[in-house]
Amino acid sequence: MNPRKPFTELSHSHVSGQSLFVDDLVLPHASLVGRVVYSKQAHALIREIGLTKALETPGVVCILTAADIPGTNNMGPVVHDEPCLARDEVNCIGQAIALIAANSFEAALNAEKKIILDLEPLEAITTLEAAIAKGLLIAPERKIESGDVETALAKGTQMIEGELATGAQEHWYLETQAALAVPGEGHEMKVFASSQNPSETQAIVAEVLGIDKNAVEVEVKRMGGAFGGKETQANHVAAWASLLANACGKAVSIRLCRDDDQIMTGKRHRFLSRYQAAFDSQGVIQAYSVELNADAGCATDLSLAILERAMLHAENAYYIPNVRITGRAYRTNLPSNTAFRGFGGPQGIAVIETVIDRIARTLHADPALIRQRNFYRDAPAHTTPYGAVIKHNHLAVLLNQLTQSSGYFSRRQSIAEFNQEHALIKRGIALTPVKFGISFTTSFLNQAGALVHIYNDGSLRVNHGGTEMGQGLHAKMQGIVCSELGLPPEKVLIDATNTSRVPNTSATAASSGSDLNGMALMDAIAKLKERLQPVAINLLNALEGFALKGPYSIQFADGQVFDARDRGHFVSFGDIARQAYLQQISLSATGYYRTPGIMFDRQTGKGNPFYYYAYGMAVAEVETDTLSGEYKVLRADILHDTGRSLNPKVDLGQVEGAFMQGIGWCTTEEIKWDTEGHLMTPSPDTYKIPTINELPEIFRVALLENQPNPGTVGQSKAVGEPPFMLALSVWLAIKDSISAVADHQYEPPFSLPATPEQVLYSITALKTQKKITIQ
Amino acid sequence: MTSLPHQIEFLFGHEKVTLSFAPGNAMPPTTTVLNYLRALPGFTGTKEGCAEGDCGACTVVLAVPEGTRLKYLAVDSCLIFLPMLHGCQLLSIEHLSEHGQLHPVQQHLLESGGSQCGFCTPGVAMSLFALSKTNPTATDREIKEALTGNLCRCTGYRPILEAAHSSVIPAQPDHFCVCEAEVASTLNHIRAGRITLQLESIRQCYYKPFSLEKALRLRKEFPEATLINGASDVALRQTKKHEQFHQIIDLSSIEELQDIRQEGQYFWIGAGARMEAVKIYFENLIPSLGNMLHRFGSRQIRNVATLGGNVCSASPIGDSLPLLMALGSYAVINSLGISREIMLDDFITGYRQTDLHSDELLTAIKIPIPQPDWITRSYKISKRQHLDISTLSAAVSLKLSDGSIADIRIAYGGMDARPRRAPLVENCLIGKPLAEETFALGGQILQQEFTPIADARSGSAYRQMAAANLLVRYYHEIKPHSE
Repeated sequence: MNPRKPFTELSHSHVSGQSLFVDDLVLPHASLVGRVVYSKQAHALIREIGLTKALETPGVVCILTAADIPGTNNMGPVVHDEPCLARDEVNCIGQAIALIAANSFEAALNAEKKIILDLEPLEAITTLEAAIAKGLLIAPERKIESGDVETALAKGTQMIEGELATGAQEHWYLETQAALAVPGEGHEMKVFASSQNPSETQAIVAEVLGIDKNAVEVEVKRMGGAFGGKETQANHVAAWASLLANACGKAVSIRLCRDDDQIMTGKRHRFLSRYQAAFDSQGVIQAYSVELNADAGCATDLSLAILERAMLHAENAYYIPNVRITGRAYRTNLPSNTAFRGFGGPQGIAVIETVIDRIARTLHADPALIRQRNFYRDAPAHTTPYGAVIKHNHLAVLLNQLTQSSGYFSRRQSIAEFNQEHALIKRGIALTPVKFGISFTTSFLNQAGALVHIYNDGSLRVNHGGTEMGQGLHAKMQGIVCSELGLPPEKVLIDATNTSRVPNTSATAASSGSDLNGMALMDAIAKLKERLQPVAINLLNALEGFALKGPYSIQFADGQVFDARDRGHFVSFGDIARQAYLQQISLSATGYYRTPGIMFDRQTGKGNPFYYYAYGMAVAEVETDTLSGEYKVLRADILHDTGRSLNPKVDLGQVEGAFMQGIGWCTTEEIKWDTEGHLMTPSPDTYKIPTINELPEIFRVALLENQPNPGTVGQSKAVGEPPFMLALSVWLAIKDSISAVADHQYEPPFSLPATPEQVLYSITALKTQKKITIQ
Repeated sequence: MTSLPHQIEFLFGHEKVTLSFAPGNAMPPTTTVLNYLRALPGFTGTKEGCAEGDCGACTVVLAVPEGTRLKYLAVDSCLIFLPMLHGCQLLSIEHLSEHGQLHPVQQHLLESGGSQCGFCTPGVAMSLFALSKTNPTATDREIKEALTGNLCRCTGYRPILEAAHSSVIPAQPDHFCVCEAEVASTLNHIRAGRITLQLESIRQCYYKPFSLEKALRLRKEFPEATLINGASDVALRQTKKHEQFHQIIDLSSIEELQDIRQEGQYFWIGAGARMEAVKIYFENLIPSLGNMLHRFGSRQIRNVATLGGNVCSASPIGDSLPLLMALGSYAVINSLGISREIMLDDFITGYRQTDLHSDELLTAIKIPIPQPDWITRSYKISKRQHLDISTLSAAVSLKLSDGSIADIRIAYGGMDARPRRAPLVENCLIGKPLAEETFALGGQILQQEFTPIADARSGSAYRQMAAANLLVRYYHEIKPHSE
């Protein structure tokens, strides 16, 4: 075994295998294993749940159903429409009906087999099309409008209209949903969770147990990937483990098996969108009308916020004077769909990028030029469909730099030549931009807290409300503290996120983790520095040869504290901490931050919902085998805007990782349900996320330089989600390669994901399509 | 049989471990190495991501002796049963660093940013470790091949690839080099014992014979026993379907079944030959086979999966089967004292059914040495290029005579309940000129030959279209170069 020692780099414990995830924790004495029994029918009445035989199974300690829930039977985070355990009716396959606690996994399995579920089948809606046809809205439709769409559509020089289906996506975090619930004294419950939102996990656990939040402590050390899949749905497994632990009086751990996780949890929302666009002879869009129809699944979850973000990104990087965006979320008998990196943005942006692509094909013009003509401009300032003014936008500079660094225009020419010479293999290229709004669109969520302790030996333990899921938040937060206090990383330990240390936090989501928590930390550190300054001045003045008078300019660097005017005299940070303690000065401070100046009125569809936007752009080139529909990404160039990056290594990792995850959504990650609502792709055997072989053969990723972002921590920008949407460049490059089969004279049928199967269908269909005519 | 040994011996790092499976033992022999490891205090570095060998988060390395040297094999610990450790050294992530000093592969992963959430990282590190030990001059393609079986959802792989390139440096000694000979000697000593192991638990009896003769006797005595070799397919029945095995005969330690050699006009491939060994052996000798196996599962899977297992599982897709059929291969079958050979086409009799009788074992596949006048190609079409089960697979082999097709063998997987030849198409094409129209015609006849199903992998129409198009692709690959 290796000696335990402090890790100077946070991922040191990862590469040495010492990082502890929920299922790795040393269990308390006599812990039990929990198992969730779920519905195998998509829609049914529960007639009876027969537990007699199951309860007799050796090793089984207890089995719970809805009737045994001491508090409220709800797990819905916003709308209370999602029972913790189904009582009278099941609404999807994978919905929890009963919970088993046993001495071993095997015993729980044996008991599960003996549970008799008597269900009476009801009609199940398992396609979005059926839900739309029946008008099964989960909430009233929403609209964002500006200008006069009807008139502009009627007047438009040219018109296109169509429909785009974008598919669901499974998060496929490597660590499946897991929780360990440990009962304490009285009602107290401590939950070790793998949750992006410990405060909400705490709320849901308190609610199902019928106790106050102060009796529930939720701790998240780290997650093995989350991507939005643990924003609300990690609450479920925590609630189930807590119910069992509460009933048995013993610690209970639940870790979902991979197939169960895929069957039970929600996905990225699939959308079926319909659009009309009018444009002039230069391809400038005059009017755009789009209906975004989302499959919410069987409960609300975050669907309305996701739909809202899809609507707020329906125009992406383009100024369109006349717009109507209609958003509808439909109820189906599938697991409730949930947050996933991009949070509706990708679905909204895919439609407008399709529109631009079609305009270019119609006009026989380069799509990049059509994009450029439609970009938002700063002067005179454009406004978005929801009335926000676009400032400091980097679209033009990104386009300039990226087309040059990628050789976009000359490569488009070479590709045309290649396609002339090759009948069976076709290449395609595409450039796509992203403009992504940063802030929770539910404005009050834009707040964060921090708690920093300086111990009297000069070491720090730092708490903030954000959770670490691999995105490098803790590394960034550690970097901020180290640079503010001039300390080496080994003196600054970032604590596990814990509701007892920082309360009432928002989810680590919406790419906001660093922005919000970084500012809260800055606030706490500023307080501490203010308290330490007089101590430092006293100590400095006691040094032999220190002759400076005030006003002092106290600096923290290299583990030392000194006056900027005299680097030769200094006191160590540890000495200051010790002295402060002796002088009875508090060495602990909380920090708080709320994002200023943002609001959004859902009724009118107007407001200023985002603090700023993050921009990015990508060029992708693919090669497609027209006989099989198989393709590969030959090259991808990305230029992404992270302001003044807090940590370029972390930010590059986010850009690359998001892009590859986006490639998965656009290409091989196909989710299928059968007509009865069974997930046909419930394991990695049938659900295919990218492997290392899907890495573009040439992959050049850069961060936009010299564009600091005023008003944020370190003048940085959020980065978690925006690059995901850059993968649409791969998707449209595939379409471009298909289009080459018919020399770009026909509009290829296209949807997302573009599996080899869909690509081959499209190629085949092209041969019978009508030529695009200019109206 | 009387009092067979009921314990296995292996090295866990440098610690010699003896596990006893006496009757009444609570822990079944088919306990996976992953579950065994994670139950040990301090060994939770090895992760479960899928329990089906598709993600590699559970990758560990088995060191097996080759004389005085060790060969390091990355395997998915979720699919390995404990008795497969017998005579091996098991290395998990906890063994890589020494005295708190990271192993170079760990250091490279750290520096490149190849670890974000950290859950896949131990598995990635173990695959990199095995690669750095077995192929310190690996090319980009070989590196990707070694890492295909490790899914990462965070990094997008670029920094992992960078770490891999830094890791494959010749002559980079590590602390494993120091004791290599000693470890090999210990393992060879364990392996010297060749008496069949009889490993038991309350509900399971697991036999591990070391010779074909002993295996055939067990087969005759326990015809109901589940046969395993690498168990990469059978293990899923336990890890995914939670099936319990009562009797197992493990054929993975029978060295005589692992040989690959040339024998007269044939290549003789033992049924126990590992897919990775088959791939390496045939990379240049039969490129169509090498290429097919390049896309067969992952390195971790190929290090345990065997050709015999792949054939006997008689999967409707069975990546290797269409090609073996197109090459005119035979199945060699033994029972006690009797050996017979039949065409592979006849050996696969239906959906997951073979002609194997209850007292027989498949001992080898014989491939006729390809003649220079036959042109063979194999194809695999899948949603994802690598580590995916074929949507369909195909192989075509033909012999030309004066610009016409003198003879042809075409076989498809994924188009029917079993992989099989396409006789209607074959008969139609014989005698026709080598021209695109000929193969287009073949594609049309294919529609009568097969009625493929629709499933999670694709619709029926795609299988039909792609299957027909593959004949056209074959033509374009083999056609004489035009002026």
